[in-house]
Amino acid sequence: MNPGIDLQQRFVETLMGYGLSPGAAKAVWLPLPLLLMLIGATVGVLVAVWLERKISAAAQQRIGPEFIGPLGILAPVADGIKLVFKEDIVPANSDPWLFLLGPVIVVIPVFLSYLIVPFGQNLMITDLGIGIFLWIALSSIVPIGLLMSGYASNNKYALIGGLRAAAQSISYEIPLALAVLAVVMMSNSLSTVDIVNQQSGYGILGWNLWRQPAGLLLFWISALAECERMPFDLPEAEEEIVAGYQTEYAGMKFALFYLGSYVNLVLSALLVSVLYLGGWDFPIPLDLLAGLLHISPDNSVLQIVTGGLGIVMTLLKAYFFVFIAILLRWTVPRVRIDQLLDLGWKFLLPIGLVNLLMTAGLKLALPFAFGG
Amino acid sequence: MNLAEGIRFVCTILLSVMMIGAALGVVLFENIVYSAFTLAGVFMSIAGLYILLNADFVSAAQVLVYVGAVNVLILFAIMLVNKREDFKPVPRRWVRKGSAALVCAGVFALLATMVVKTSWPTDLSLVPPVSAVELIGEHFFSDYLLPFEIASILLLMALVGAIVIARRESIVGEETALVGETPPPVLELPERPREPVA
Amino acid sequence: MLKFLKQVGGYAKETLQSARYIGQGLSVTFDHMSRRPITVQYPYEKLIPSERFRGRIHFEFDKCISCEVCVRVCPINLPVVDWEFNKALKKKQLKHYSIDFGVCIFCANCVEYCPTNCLSVTEEYELSTFDRHELNYDNVAMGRLPYKVTEDPMVTPIREFAYLPEKVLAGHDAPSNVARAGQRPEEIVAATPKQQEEKETEAP
Repeated sequence: MNPGIDLQQRFVETLMGYGLSPGAAKAVWLPLPLLLMLIGATVGVLVAVWLERKISAAAQQRIGPEFIGPLGILAPVADGIKLVFKEDIVPANSDPWLFLLGPVIVVIPVFLSYLIVPFGQNLMITDLGIGIFLWIALSSIVPIGLLMSGYASNNKYALIGGLRAAAQSISYEIPLALAVLAVVMMSNSLSTVDIVNQQSGYGILGWNLWRQPAGLLLFWISALAECERMPFDLPEAEEEIVAGYQTEYAGMKFALFYLGSYVNLVLSALLVSVLYLGGWDFPIPLDLLAGLLHISPDNSVLQIVTGGLGIVMTLLKAYFFVFIAILLRWTVPRVRIDQLLDLGWKFLLPIGLVNLLMTAGLKLALPFAFGG
Repeated sequence: MNLAEGIRFVCTILLSVMMIGAALGVVLFENIVYSAFTLAGVFMSIAGLYILLNADFVSAAQVLVYVGAVNVLILFAIMLVNKREDFKPVPRRWVRKGSAALVCAGVFALLATMVVKTSWPTDLSLVPPVSAVELIGEHFFSDYLLPFEIASILLLMALVGAIVIARRESIVGEETALVGETPPPVLELPERPREPVA
Repeated sequence: MLKFLKQVGGYAKETLQSARYIGQGLSVTFDHMSRRPITVQYPYEKLIPSERFRGRIHFEFDKCISCEVCVRVCPINLPVVDWEFNKALKKKQLKHYSIDFGVCIFCANCVEYCPTNCLSVTEEYELSTFDRHELNYDNVAMGRLPYKVTEDPMVTPIREFAYLPEKVLAGHDAPSNVARAGQRPEEIVAATPKQQEEKETEAP
């Protein structure tokens, strides 16, 4: 397997070349990936918001943002600037500390989950041993923030919205975890890098998409419900409970919720691409292509091309799923709360269990295809 | 002391302070919702301490189970009930508070002496396992099989019990009617008619 | 056991069917994405109001006989007719006339019933002001004629769907020199007397 580029080592070596001690060089390197991740996630959100507006407009035969930058590409930036400069309103008789803490608790775990998203063999923050399990654990913190903001708002709609969000997150975490578990079982590892490596080698044919079609659907439906996206946006159902837990929020605190929901959507899409579509893997195996063109795997140009292509492939796959989510938003009407819970507990959960069982059986029966 | 050790030291102190502070908050807050939220803080700091001890799987499991499930359910229950009730000041409350503090101090002293007296075998030559998950799995299915299975059966029982309580289909007022008295109207919860299970 | 299997089968069938419906819905949404936007970029492009458009009301002061029919047919008695009886002429003389377009519902009943046709509807609809009292138009303001959309050099006029030539579906695509489908009003008028003549020749 191609080791790819080790950015950290290069960077540290370069700094040491300028006469820095190894410890200091490492200390300079440490915050860089985190900063890069924050900026990357935020830019990803801006792109997702722009796509949402443009695709929604196209699906409704409108034009969408047009004049702010070419094709209206700066519209989300304008949104962000507006939200930053808006007045910060704290409603009367609310709980100011919890009111502040709620959106913060919602946003931090979502950003933290980017730790485990790989864009290449070494292009990730850390290759944690618990990998995907970290994401599942972190996403379970979010409902606490939602409950907190719902409670602190001193508004019954906000409280109902927070309770709904918590109920929804708890119920859909289980099918989500079951879908992930089936993939993990095949790759014998929780690490996202191992999961991608297990799928690579055969190009598009090796992706988990073919081995886990039910798992993919299960995961995507549950992920949409976790993100509170359109068919499952009961916690913010405008017609029933104003805007749910966001009702009383304005300015920067609202921006945190907004940011959090889109970061979560992009993150879920990225994880679908990692778990089921081979992550940074190109549809045609690159080693094979390089072999055909007689390029040695140690060629630095090839390594850079592979790394860049990996990032592009991951993002393309992820944004394809963002696109599907937006299309679904304008296709499927919102479900009722009982339908939502029925779908989660009576449909997705049994299917997840059966999927897990069948994966285990197939793994024993056909170890060459399902990861022995 | 190098960079990693320094960070570790500072983090340990920070997390310990956070944990103790949050734990005191759980006990001392008058508002039960605050207590529940600070409980989440306690669980999170414990998870942080696990990370510092190289137990990343246990830490994630701690977050998932205690913060994501237990604490959310506690909050859920509190908010569904949501009775903002001002408690009447009980006469001679300090007696109760004092006795509770005494018991707590006693337990703390007991545990502290236990911690000090025990010789914790620390073998620094032992390398931490690369994949803790596999080791945990192996232990679960070999020497800790019985506790594992008993725990799962306990959870199953709790699940069934919860379903039984939630799906109550009792008919109120049938047994309470006396002879000669007109029986009170039969009250039924509006539920789906029960189908015989094949 | 058999019944259980049957249930499972029915459930699976329903699931597949609903999945198919969602797929159909998605394809419809996807198909709409490739269609041309129907957006009219308002201040730069404007739709030409239809010939029966009921916009702001136009008033001709000299034709008015102060009969107050407009007030009586108005659902809320909105027009204010200020007249005085001129004894020398033995006629009602109009002093002021006004309608508050902030209250008017543009039903054009007054236009319908005006015996002297001094009221008429225009195609003006841009009635936004900073103060709602500015919408209270007097007889001078009501006597002004609106700008025509087709004659405004700043505006690209766009025809409404009903006024497009045959087989053109989007107003943006329509060539400006091609007439709309079907007969124009003057053509209908031109055709009518002929029919009457025919009828008259047939009658005796």
